[in-house]
Amino acid sequence: MTWLAATDHKKTAAKVGVASIFFFLLSGLLALTMRAELAQPGLQFVSDHTYDELFTMHGSGMIYLFLTPAALGLGLYLVPLQVGAAEIAAPRLALFGFWLYLLGGLTMYSGFLTNNGAGDATWTATIPLSNSSGTPGVGMDLWVIGVALAVLGSLLIAITILLTIMRLRAPGMTMLRLPVFTWTMLATTFMVVASFPVLVVAMGLLIAERHIGGVFTGSTGSVAYQHLFWFYGHPVVYVMFFPFVGAVGEAVATFSRKRFFGYRALVVSLLFFTALSMAVWGHHMFITGAVKNQYYSLTSTLLAVPAGIEYLDLIGTMIGGALVFRAPMLFALGFIAQFLIGGLTGIIVASPPLDYHVNGSYFIVAHFHYTLFAGSLFGLLAGVHYWFPKATGAMLRERLAKASFWVLALGANVTFFPMFFLGYDGMPRRVADYEPRLGDLNLLSSIGAGVIAIGVVMVLVNLVASLRRKEPAGDDPWGAQTLEWWTTSPPPRDNFEAPLPAINSPAPLLDLREREEEARERRVEVPV
Amino acid sequence: MSGSTRSDFASVWSLYLWIGIGVAVLVLCAVLFAVVRYRDRPGRAPSRRAERTAVEVAATVLILAIVALLVFRTFHTEAREDDSSAAGAVRIDVDAFQWGWKFTYPGQGVTVIGNSVREPNFAVPAGRRVSFALTSSDVIHAMWIPGQRFKKDAIPGRTNHFDMEFEARGREPGLCSEFCGLRHSNMRFGVWVLSDASYERWLAAHR
Repeated sequence: MTWLAATDHKKTAAKVGVASIFFFLLSGLLALTMRAELAQPGLQFVSDHTYDELFTMHGSGMIYLFLTPAALGLGLYLVPLQVGAAEIAAPRLALFGFWLYLLGGLTMYSGFLTNNGAGDATWTATIPLSNSSGTPGVGMDLWVIGVALAVLGSLLIAITILLTIMRLRAPGMTMLRLPVFTWTMLATTFMVVASFPVLVVAMGLLIAERHIGGVFTGSTGSVAYQHLFWFYGHPVVYVMFFPFVGAVGEAVATFSRKRFFGYRALVVSLLFFTALSMAVWGHHMFITGAVKNQYYSLTSTLLAVPAGIEYLDLIGTMIGGALVFRAPMLFALGFIAQFLIGGLTGIIVASPPLDYHVNGSYFIVAHFHYTLFAGSLFGLLAGVHYWFPKATGAMLRERLAKASFWVLALGANVTFFPMFFLGYDGMPRRVADYEPRLGDLNLLSSIGAGVIAIGVVMVLVNLVASLRRKEPAGDDPWGAQTLEWWTTSPPPRDNFEAPLPAINSPAPLLDLREREEEARERRVEVPV
Repeated sequence: MSGSTRSDFASVWSLYLWIGIGVAVLVLCAVLFAVVRYRDRPGRAPSRRAERTAVEVAATVLILAIVALLVFRTFHTEAREDDSSAAGAVRIDVDAFQWGWKFTYPGQGVTVIGNSVREPNFAVPAGRRVSFALTSSDVIHAMWIPGQRFKKDAIPGRTNHFDMEFEARGREPGLCSEFCGLRHSNMRFGVWVLSDASYERWLAAHR
């Protein structure tokens, strides 16, 4: 019980981590059920109605209850350590955020216990489908309330991270000495603070529409709702991306034994990315005929510039390094290769004449699973494998970790690559049944989903086994560069017991090692 | 507007696809090069260089140039597809509903209606401009004809106008691509692309 009430940011973050794994597994089981249904044309296992609940709750669970909280949970754990702070700013607010998020998730999922089942109006709950006549039932109300609570909880956690970066940096930790991951978290929290309140308000209005009416009515109501939703809905895509770029950046620098390449360019590109992210939401509405498509096409395509700089910096970090392929590095490389496919297909769908064909099809499903699953989840796993020794004091089983990487990479590509062809060939998303000619690719995709399930089980077994029989990690098992590796594993209640080293760059521990090396060289050059 | 949505799509698509594949190959080769060339070996000392402003600027300029090319082509095509004021076109009003379609030929006295149990088929003359006016009577649907590489939302209270030109004769399948409730999976329709003479006969038979 004391663990549940503890305000230590590390314990709050651990709670967020456990809850997000729980919701990931739940939402993943829904996806496996969908892939089982889709393995063959026709209806085999579930009804149309059940299928609608499955994809609604799968998407909602993964976005509102897994990737967003997991990204913020990672920041909640690491940011105070990376900036040399003893605690998160406003620790009780962070804990309150966790409880709101958990309550929201349980509320959303409790819809399955009601007569009409859980919410089944897609993760975007488009008006008028989501109003009281389009989707009657308590399950949909629980979905709306659940989303509002979970998103509000995430917002509160993000605020504590933002405050920590602004107010609690150690002496010497200037803004241009923040570690790469902390910079990505700062950009993330900017987007959260600017966009999440809009969704909370939209959910409040949606509940009012369902029970009182008259909110989103007439010819403008449905379009107005989409504007509110996507004003949140696009920035959140980068909330589920930036922190994992940061995690990958830290892992790549450490396992290349080299300073992060182009640090200042990365900072500028992150800020440019953040600003643009607030101006691209209309690309979700290209086929509505209700927005100026050219404007959103221009802003969306421009995202290639900061994204390209980030790729250049990641690869530039490796070039000239001495690369060591431990498990976190493999997941980081998987992120780089696979997110690339998601990002480049994102440029394709930023062109309205191309989106007119692939919008609402499996091409889009393939595109965002390459970003969110093959990209973000691999980035998250890079982070989990990288920081697990710090958080627990125990190493993960390296061979099992590497094996799980290859299984997951195989599964992800077998599952999601065929979907590009399915969508191009005319298969819409959110259908339980499809034309028989699309059967073979769907079967392949379903087999891939099974492989992913095996990979996920391997990761879980590794986490549990490594906690059960601990292989001690030491303070800094990787030869890392940032302050979290200066303290013990796991860190003490107030994070640091020894005085902090001098902070003259984003990589203070690397500075120390380089200075020691220089001192050794001088001693060799000038023999006594 | 000249040319069909299908040919518009094809030209923009191949540009984007080949540039995308080119960039993907370039990036993956760079990663592979780094992984092979700079793997840790005894005696390898990692470089301490962490900035190359010239490279960052060059990359930015290169990407901006590609973005400019892509956006230029997109805008050019978008402007043509947005222009739906063709005179002398065949006009068809489409009303989507849960879960079916109603196709009306204004001034012709022809209406085709069908639902998820019996899907409707409407006809168009090959090679002629067809102007659609699309709306919905309940929730948001989308009218997608994959063979035309085109879709548009059907939004209650709004009417979306767009043109298509059907080249190849035969039947083109179409469907709803915006989730609209229980029978969304079965909300389909067909387009018969006919010669002028057959089209006139089809109209007469459906009056």
